[in-house]
Order: sequence, then C-alpha cells, then structure tokens
Amino acid sequence: MKNAGGNAPPRQKLGRAQSRFVFCCLAPVMVLFVVFLLAPIAISVVLSFFNYSPLSDKAVFVGLKYYSYMLTDPNFIKTIVNTLIFVASAVAINLVLSTSIALMVYSLTSARMREMFRAFYFLPVIAPLVGASLVWKNMFDPQYGLVSMIMERFGSDFSIYWLSDARYALIAVIIVTLWHDLGYNIVILTTGLYSIPKTYFESGKIDGANRWQLFWNITLPLLSRTMAFVSVMTIISYFQVFTQVQIMTRGGPSYATQLIAVSIYQNAFEFERMGYASAMAVVLLVLILCVSLIQMKLNQSDWEY
Amino acid sequence: MKDKTVRVFLVIFLSLGSVVMMFPFVWMVLNAFKTTSEILAVPPSLFPKVIYLGGYVKLFSESPILYWFRNSLVVVTAVVILQLFTSSLSGYIFAKFDFRFKNFCFIMVLLTLMIPFQVIMIPVYLIVSKLHLLNTLYALIVPSMVSAFGLFLCKQFIETIPTDLIHAARIDGAGEFRIYGSIILPNVRSTLSALAIFTFMGTWNDYLWPLITINDTNRMTIPLALNFFSGQHSKELNVVMAACTVVILPEIIVYLLFQKQFIQGMALSGMKA
Repeated sequence: MKNAGGNAPPRQKLGRAQSRFVFCCLAPVMVLFVVFLLAPIAISVVLSFFNYSPLSDKAVFVGLKYYSYMLTDPNFIKTIVNTLIFVASAVAINLVLSTSIALMVYSLTSARMREMFRAFYFLPVIAPLVGASLVWKNMFDPQYGLVSMIMERFGSDFSIYWLSDARYALIAVIIVTLWHDLGYNIVILTTGLYSIPKTYFESGKIDGANRWQLFWNITLPLLSRTMAFVSVMTIISYFQVFTQVQIMTRGGPSYATQLIAVSIYQNAFEFERMGYASAMAVVLLVLILCVSLIQMKLNQSDWEY
Repeated sequence: MKDKTVRVFLVIFLSLGSVVMMFPFVWMVLNAFKTTSEILAVPPSLFPKVIYLGGYVKLFSESPILYWFRNSLVVVTAVVILQLFTSSLSGYIFAKFDFRFKNFCFIMVLLTLMIPFQVIMIPVYLIVSKLHLLNTLYALIVPSMVSAFGLFLCKQFIETIPTDLIHAARIDGAGEFRIYGSIILPNVRSTLSALAIFTFMGTWNDYLWPLITINDTNRMTIPLALNFFSGQHSKELNVVMAACTVVILPEIIVYLLFQKQFIQGMALSGMKA
C-alpha cells in the first residue's frame, strides 16, 4: 500500500508473533462487522425481492414486485413526500438557527457566559428522546397544554389540535426535533469558530473592515467547511427520524407525519411485511448514498489554514 | 458604545432562547407534582397549588423501575467496554501494522459507517432471532460490540503516536498486548473517554432496537419502559410526568457534572469528516 501521511509506518515484514497477533485480534472483530453490519446490507437488498413474514417460514420470490407496487402505493408516495418536506425544512431551519446562535455565543466576551449558554442549548440533546417526546405531547395538548396556554395569553381564542390536525402535526414534529438537537450543531459550529485563527480578524480590523464585512468575508467562508459537514450529518440523521413520531403521532393523523423510518418499522414489525419494508429500506439507503456522494463531490475543495 | 448595546441584545436574545430550551423540563417537573385533575383543569395553571407526591408513589409502587435502571446499566456498561476494547485494538492494528487485505478490510469497515440503522434493522433482527437472543439483554449488547465510527476514530488518533516508540518497546522485549496496554491505551485516553460518552448516550437513549427485540416487561431498558409505562397510565398524567422526571433528571445531573467531557466528546465526533 502507498503511505500518504507523514506519520505512517514504513513498510516492513511482520514477525511470526506479530502476524499471529494481527490475525487473532482482527479476525473476531471483522467477523462481528460482517455478521452485524455488512451482511445485513446485502440481506436487506435480497429480502426486498421476497415475500417474507417471520410468522410463516417460507419466503416466496416476487422479483421487483414491491418496487413497482411502491410507485402506486399512495401511502408510500405520501411518506416519501413527507420525508422530503420534513428533511428540507427541518435542516434549513436548523442550520439558520444553529449558525446564528453559535455566532451569538461566540461573539460574547465573557467566557463564563459563553459556557453557560452553550450548556443550556446542549441540555436537550442529552435528554432521552422518548421522555422529551412524552413531555412535548403533553405540552401540545389543545386544552391543558403549555403551547395553547401561551397562545391564549397572546390573544388567540381558538385552540390548535397540534397532534391530531393533519395541517399542524408535521410542524409539531419539526418543533420537537429542532428543540432536541439544535444544541449538537451549535457545539460543533462553535468549535469550528474557535478553530479560525484570531489573526485573520485582527488583520481585517486593521484594514478597516466593519463587523458585517468581517462576518461576510472572513467568518462565513472559513466556517463553510464545518457548515457543509454539519448539513450533511443533519440531513442524514433527519432521514432516520423515528422516535418522536412514533411516540407523539405514530405517523398519523391520516399519514400526515408518516416518515420513511416509521413506515419501515411499521411494515416490518407491525404488519409483518418484511419484504416490502426491506424494499423501503433500500430506498432509504439509496437516498442516503446520494447525499453522501454529493458531500464527497463538495468535499474536494482542499484548503487549509 | 454601539458594541455594548449589540451585546446586551445578544444576551437578551440568547436568554430567551435558553428559556425555550429549558421550559419542557420545568413543565415536566411541575406537572409531576400536580394531581391529574389539576393538570386537566381549565384554565390551566403553571405551578402546582400543593406539592402532591402521589405520582411518584404510584410510579415506584406499581412499576419495576429499579429493574429497568439495572437493565439499562448492564447493557450500557457492557456495550461501552466492549466497543472501546474492539475499537482501540483494531484501530491500533489498522494504524500500525501492514498486512495482506488491510485495505480491503478497512474499506469494508468504512462502508458501514454511513449506513442508517433502519437499513440493516430487519436482517439484524432475523440474525439475532436465529441466535435465539431475542427478548434477552444479549440482543441489545451483541450487535453493538463493534463500531465503525469508534474504530475509525481510534485509528486516526493512534496514527499520531510515533512508530519509534512502539519499535523501542518491541526491542525492549514487550509483547504486542503489552504495547497495546502500556503505550497505545494511555496515549489515546482522551479519545477513548470521548468515545465512551458518545457510545453511552447513544446506547442509553436508544429506543428503536429495544422496541423490536424486547417484549418482557422485566427486561426492558429505560426508554422502552418509559413509553410502555406511559401507555399503561396514559390517563394519569402526573404519573407519566413523574416517570419522565425520574428518567431525565439523573441524566441531566450526570451531564452537569461532566459537562466539559460531554461537550468535548460531541465536538470530537464532529471532527470525523
């Protein structure tokens, strides 16, 4: 193999004891990787060509039936549309909010306050999503929930059925999702901000740039790599959103919050349609691969500071 | 002068945001101290009139909550220790040894890095069921013994340890496990503790996989049990909120105690690009 990094070891023959060490330690690890991570990808693809339910042990080959069925299944089409709407809007709002909050926290002068705010915004990230979703479900109640309580204070006299009205349910899911993991991106973005050398800002100031110009010409371009990373990670994780939907709405009302991860779960483990669920899983895989490929393309710009 | 007003606005804005972030926790704690009829009262009130502990009493008397905590602790401890061990050991091998099929093996590992869990969930379920592990805590431990992310992270950091150090130890007669234990591990301690926190949080809060594999009430882990219990007591909102409080508060305390490590661990996971 070619050694690219400066620290890579020079090629050398391994002694007997060393080869034995490498083999004995790596083989079990690789077996676990193959059994629990790698083979399942292939099995998933294969399973999507079969009509399989764990209740009957027979699997019937159906070819591409599930994939063609998908195109005519209105529920699946709705699921895909929901997923795309959810990912697009939640990621966009998340990026705008987390970048602005990260910049605000970064520009505070007192280190104490910076740490305090960062801790506050990060707190929901560590709370278990199941508990948080149950609390939010309670807060979204139209009669006694906090959200309606606040809206009444501000003079709104009708109550919104957040979780049982198809127009608002997806918005409620987006709110909970953002609340739960804004802090994660804020932490990564502030870390990115700290890694920008201070000298750039100083020389910018000497050249007479104002706050806005510093932000637009120095901060933003130098933060762009972190932002690209954060957006890709957020997109990938939002394609997999499951817990908050399963607990608050179970995909309802009338499929308004049905996301692809929820569909996969329900088809496989509630309706015992593992073949169809696997076909959906393959669609999810393709979606994620597309995002990863786009990221690789974008990542080709290589500059350092 | 102008700078100062901008800063005041920033602090006000950030504080408002923090209030929004904190509010669900406050709501949860306050409602856990109310009676259900007080929660349902119209118009609703924020603070409880009297501190009512019935919710907590019911939670501890009617549910095996200590079992659930124990299950979660067992699973999380096992997964964290095993994952740190396999990741650091194979990270060391990939970083410092040259052998046949090395690139092939490494590419296989990297392939699994980006795969969403829902894609492999059904086959892993079938494999675990063939191994007769369903409805046992092993189902939650065995598939998580290795992690592509952990291996990759360890490899990155072990590569920065000078190879000469390893050679010197080898010349002094140290065996490979000795080198792993006394040179490699101490040098990547901060990486490992970050990885431990990351794995801990992921495993402790995991809901989907236990939902699929565990049916028995006594074998549930905390998130699964929390939803199960809330479903049983869905009419008694104070009991549900008490359960949420008992589950969430310890985590917040652990977080506040180890805040620096938590945030560093998260930031480190962001460096994997």
